[in-house]
Amino acid sequence: MNMWRRIRAMGLWHELVLAGLLAGLLAGAWYFEQTRGAEFVSWETQTALSSHMWEMALLSVPLTLIIISGGIDLSVGAIMSLSAVTMGLAWQAGMGVWPAVGLTLAAGLTAGAMNGTFVVFLGVHPLIVTLGTMSAYRGIAEGLIGAEPVSQFPAGFLAMSEPLVAGLPPAGILFVVLAIAAGVLLGRTAAGRELRAIGYNETTARFSGVAVARTKLLLYTASGLVSAVAAVLFVARRDTAKADVGAGLELTAITAVVLGGTSIFGGRGRIGGTVLGVLLLHEVRSLVAWRWNRDELTFIIVGAMLILSVLVHSVLTRRKS
Amino acid sequence: MSDVLVDIQRVSKHFGGVRALREVSLAIAPGEVHALCGENGAGKSTLIEILSGSCRPNAGQVLLAGRRLGLGNVGACEQAGVAVIHQEPVAFGHLSAVDNIFVGRELTLAGGLLLNRRAMRRGASELLADLGGGVDLACPVRCLPPAQRQRVAMARAILRDAKLLILDEPTASLSERETAVLFALIRRLRNQGVSVLYVSHRLEEVFALADRVSVLRDGRLVGTRLAGELDRATLIAMMVGPEASESSRLGGDGPAPGKAGEALLEVSGLTRRGAFEDITFTVRAGEVVGLAGLVGAGRSDVARALGGVDEPDGGLVKLAGEILPGGSVRRAIAGGLVLVPEDRHRQGLVLPMSVGANLTLSVLRRLTRMGLTRPARERRMAGRIMGELDIRAESDRAAVSTLSGGNQQKVVLGKALAAKPKVLVLDEPTRGVDVAAKAQLHRTIRLLADRGMATLLISSDLPELLSASDRVVVMRAGRITGELTRDEATQERVLHLALPPDRANTEGGAS
Repeated sequence: MNMWRRIRAMGLWHELVLAGLLAGLLAGAWYFEQTRGAEFVSWETQTALSSHMWEMALLSVPLTLIIISGGIDLSVGAIMSLSAVTMGLAWQAGMGVWPAVGLTLAAGLTAGAMNGTFVVFLGVHPLIVTLGTMSAYRGIAEGLIGAEPVSQFPAGFLAMSEPLVAGLPPAGILFVVLAIAAGVLLGRTAAGRELRAIGYNETTARFSGVAVARTKLLLYTASGLVSAVAAVLFVARRDTAKADVGAGLELTAITAVVLGGTSIFGGRGRIGGTVLGVLLLHEVRSLVAWRWNRDELTFIIVGAMLILSVLVHSVLTRRKS
Repeated sequence: MSDVLVDIQRVSKHFGGVRALREVSLAIAPGEVHALCGENGAGKSTLIEILSGSCRPNAGQVLLAGRRLGLGNVGACEQAGVAVIHQEPVAFGHLSAVDNIFVGRELTLAGGLLLNRRAMRRGASELLADLGGGVDLACPVRCLPPAQRQRVAMARAILRDAKLLILDEPTASLSERETAVLFALIRRLRNQGVSVLYVSHRLEEVFALADRVSVLRDGRLVGTRLAGELDRATLIAMMVGPEASESSRLGGDGPAPGKAGEALLEVSGLTRRGAFEDITFTVRAGEVVGLAGLVGAGRSDVARALGGVDEPDGGLVKLAGEILPGGSVRRAIAGGLVLVPEDRHRQGLVLPMSVGANLTLSVLRRLTRMGLTRPARERRMAGRIMGELDIRAESDRAAVSTLSGGNQQKVVLGKALAAKPKVLVLDEPTRGVDVAAKAQLHRTIRLLADRGMATLLISSDLPELLSASDRVVVMRAGRITGELTRDEATQERVLHLALPPDRANTEGGAS
């Protein structure tokens, strides 16, 4: 009873619903797979399949913060492709692989900082800004690299996709670290409280002396940097750098964030929800791909889940008030 | 029961824990002008909303011409003959007067396929001519002056055969001549059998128009009287109630002589192009200086510039002798000047966040250790401020949106005080606040001054401004037109300085 109260008071029901769905999905899969021999719900399968997830998962963390602050970043996928192309060209041009990584991160950082600058100093809505830069960054990426992807990166670099701890590759560990850091930021720091206040009411935040411009600039810059990290990890995983890296990933990541209970209008949201949203999205996709090998089914299911989750939320919050 | 058109029977409404109306019963006769009086928060707006159908009561019912009104259904109430004309009577601001009048009742041609624009235009122009005319039919309604917009709304109501016309502060933005035209119109409608529920703060209008007067206080009906049997003092006493009349007079003694402390806020030549020019004044420790002027005189712009929200183009602000660089709220707060903005919902509060989070928002970074917030310390601070200002909330974790207007305003003030300012700039701190909270806010302002705070107070409520201030600076059209000491400052003199010179004799009422 007390715990139920607490869950209600903190609005944790959304996380509960997601966790329940996830558990139900895995239990169902396990039950059906029992009769057929192949095991979806096994350590090996899950770790193997999870390697696809981490880049999207990484993107979702800064995206959660940005959406809570009342903004959006549609360009994360395009920054990934720009970064991957930078990586490929730098390596092709004879640069050492680690200096190339450094250059790539710098490129992502710059692209993110440009987003932030446009949003803050031109006062253009982030949806418009990042819709524009999404198209521009991808265009630049394609123009730079041409048709031939770059590959044959050194083994030391490719090893970054190997499992490191508890079956998790560095990408997975980074996601866990980032998610915890973002959770602490949101829940326990002044900056986190302030960015939530910005999302709920930017005018009041400004009138209260919150450094609105600086906060936004940092958020979009961080998003660009994390996108570049995701791009590097993608290149290491696939041993290929080309312009379509990260294509469409921005929408998957935004879907995961919204599925996780973050309000697209800003203010409300938690990292825990995003983590569950990412996992649920990933499991549904994996299961559909594993059992039926049909991608279009995934899209339909994910779309239905998204709409349903928002619907359930609005029904529950309406009853509360 | 032929002498009752509208019969409001034991209507109650509560919002969360706030009881806006308690078993209010009220009867309006056909062809009667019935005035509804009461302080802000007495329940007038709620009653209007219930009659218009935009709000469903928790209990009670309303009969209109003997039939139950479909409460909570705007369409049904309008159909039954209730028309509300709000202070800002715009239904569809981007549509023309003709479209607004006929929306939902369009005249058509060709079996309903086409709009009969010509007939509608003619109809609208006839209706409006009957109401005093002079309305541009082609302009979007939002571009029309208030008096014309009001006529459009009235025409709309007449076209719908309104039986009950509710007028909510209809003269708030009308000139004296326009008011006279409106009054004539109201009397004519009354003679045609239309009932009018007239809501206004201006008592002289109530006495000029109303047949009967009903008074609400704290959601209860105090009584209904024939207007002829009432006088001003009795009506005010009914509105204010027995216990509140004592608090309307404030401390306002000013700082003890000789103690009038150091100049904490020195403003000289402050200018922001297009808003105000060459603003110069000083506020000393322990002093409350009122900044008077009409709406649009630039008072809030000065406040915003002082608070660091807007950057001034020229001039100098000194805080306790030190120059305060403009254009940064954070530097203003750090220097000891905090602005309590005029619009608490838009500028002062983050409504979905908790009382505690709002109170500490400006000073959050001072409360952290190694970058981390300290919930226990925040709660102590929030609790202390809530106690000092008597903020009534379930707890410091309750969302500010659940608080009453008065308590929300106290949260905005508390948020400012959390920063431990030397200078407070209060922009309309009592707007939309109930009587009790208003009195508390007044006492708090005086108490702070006695402890050495330098306060700049802006209020459109002139009596309030005069009673709360030690000195009054008057602005007109972006410039300071005079400064009055406590003894010199009367409503008349302030108005004389605030109004454009040629109109000072013909216009009344700046509040």
